[in-house]
Amino acid sequence: MAFLEIDGLRKRFGSVEILKGIDVDLEKGGFLVLVGPSGCGKSTLLNTIAGLESITEGEIRVDGRTINDLHPSKRDIAMVFQSYALYPNMTVAGNIAFGMEMRGVPAHERQKAIDKVAKVLQIGHLLQRKPSQLSGGQRQRVAMGRALVRDPKLFLFDEPLSNLDAKLRVDMRIEIKRLHATTGTTIVYVTHDQIEAMTLATKIAVMRDGEVQQFGTPAEIYNNPTNLFVADFMGSPAMNLIPATIGGNGNALSVVLQREAREPISLPLADAPTGLSAFHDKPIIFGVRPEALTDPEGAERNASNIATADCHIEVVEPAGSDTFAVTNLGGKAVVARLRADANIQPGTSTPLAFNLTKAVFFDPATENRIL
Amino acid sequence: MSVIATPTRQSTGGISARTVNRIVIYGLLALFALFYLMPLFVMLVTSFKTMDEIQNGNMLALPQAPTFEPWLKAWGETCVGLTCAGIKGYFWNSIKMVVPAVLISTLLGALNGYVLTKWRFRGHTLVFGLMLFACFIPFQSVLLPMATILGSLGRFGVTLRNATGFSFGLGNPTVNLVFVHVVYGLGFTTLFFRNYYEAFPTELVKAAQVDGASFFQIFRRIMLPNSMPIFVVTVIYQFTNIWNDFLFASAYAGTGDAMPMTVALNNVVNTSTGVVEYNVNMAAAMIAALPTLLVYVVAGRYFVRGLMAGAVKG
Repeated sequence: MAFLEIDGLRKRFGSVEILKGIDVDLEKGGFLVLVGPSGCGKSTLLNTIAGLESITEGEIRVDGRTINDLHPSKRDIAMVFQSYALYPNMTVAGNIAFGMEMRGVPAHERQKAIDKVAKVLQIGHLLQRKPSQLSGGQRQRVAMGRALVRDPKLFLFDEPLSNLDAKLRVDMRIEIKRLHATTGTTIVYVTHDQIEAMTLATKIAVMRDGEVQQFGTPAEIYNNPTNLFVADFMGSPAMNLIPATIGGNGNALSVVLQREAREPISLPLADAPTGLSAFHDKPIIFGVRPEALTDPEGAERNASNIATADCHIEVVEPAGSDTFAVTNLGGKAVVARLRADANIQPGTSTPLAFNLTKAVFFDPATENRIL
Repeated sequence: MSVIATPTRQSTGGISARTVNRIVIYGLLALFALFYLMPLFVMLVTSFKTMDEIQNGNMLALPQAPTFEPWLKAWGETCVGLTCAGIKGYFWNSIKMVVPAVLISTLLGALNGYVLTKWRFRGHTLVFGLMLFACFIPFQSVLLPMATILGSLGRFGVTLRNATGFSFGLGNPTVNLVFVHVVYGLGFTTLFFRNYYEAFPTELVKAAQVDGASFFQIFRRIMLPNSMPIFVVTVIYQFTNIWNDFLFASAYAGTGDAMPMTVALNNVVNTSTGVVEYNVNMAAAMIAALPTLLVYVVAGRYFVRGLMAGAVKG
């Protein structure tokens, strides 16, 4: 039995269905990230777990206890809000202790708890300040302190880093990860940033239009996306999704990619997924991540199935750590990720290595993965 | 060349044109200010003059022998109707009526605004619309119905006193006036607080809910301490309106001991025995105006700030 279980959760506002049957579970000490574009229902889902929104159908259990109809304060949860939601009229210490005060914890115990949390988050020198006197990062820490001090069964984070600048966001991301590792708490975290999702999560639920598109570990989501949406949403730069057809015969299938003003590329597939033979001579979507499309010297040495083809390079983007090259295949701009020192010129043709063991195929009609 | 030349010419020409504009604007403003201050000035100087000086001198002239006598007389001796004990009793009547009326209507308005924005229920826009409508009801149209209601309440108070020995203030003219002003002011105070709380971050309320605070704990600990600007605006607005009200005061407490300041002032001026003591009348009027002036001076800077806060923040 998992620690957090969500079964067939539905949420309707009038006739509009915001959440359409969510099934998710999380083990104790796990880190679940709900990720998706804005309006996908991820924040609503978090609010239903917190008890700030009622649910229409389904069940939410924490540690075996159904919490559907419990008041937020009775659910043994703590929440960090996007805007931090620090009470502007109270000091940092007052903010952290407010929940305990409401529960009637005696003053000296409150003080002890505040000191402990302040030490963990290194905000001891800020305790007597008002929130308006703090920087963004400090407010973020105080908001986390207010959650930590409750020592709850479940932590809920609602896009906690989206108000910080880029550098601070990376620092706080590491901090949250460290906090999770040292305290071993169970966390549900909402974000629209797929890098946050990949780096923090032990489990990711990719959501769209009130439905979970895929639920799995970050590696599963990244390497084995179940449909076009997940493949496109996760990863930066995004996966190349190239319209192609399946050629070859019988046991030796190949992917045929159209090129502008030249004969098509045909890439032989050594161990094609079995479902692919049904698509012989039919259109498919060929998905390959930029790092699986590289210069032959930079290709993975031990990959079993690498095919090389000449491609016309249109744009070169040196990014410092890597060089990205843009070519055109199947009528779409395709990004290849090359070594930083790859000697490559725009407007020329150069051989690129396709790592076909990492390639995935989708049915353009259903948008689902072909397995 | 021309590109460089044009701005310099414009700026030199612009400065003089702007100076002329400023002079015209400030000149007009000064003129209007003077015009508006004139009655106040006449009141002030007259209240420090002796009757001889008023009858023989110029209205705009400064007092030759300034005296506090008219002020003291207005406060303690002048005749209101038939009793001649000054206006001090009526001044306290007004205070006793205004303070509870302002506090109750402001707190209820805050509570309404809190519910209408943070605890929304089905039909909350309709309720708010009806409360808004209350702002547009003319005083005169509620005079008679309200008199009937107050009459019923008074009779109920008598029944209560016969039964329990205590009327709970029902039928008392001061309590009646507080009641009328609270009911009438509720539309305005609700409007002020609702619009202020509309922009108040809902996440704070959610955070307090997760922290386990109850409905009233959130109101008292989170909402009210962060409502200072709109609180001041509402208090100033309500205080001025209720203190200055003459119609309700004269209709429901126009005679007897509970008569508020505005009605008493009217009676001072209308007392027709002997010579008209302009200096005493002016002093009484100044005393009647002082509390509202004081409220503006003390809280005025919050007034502007509060009006802005609601308008600019999205």
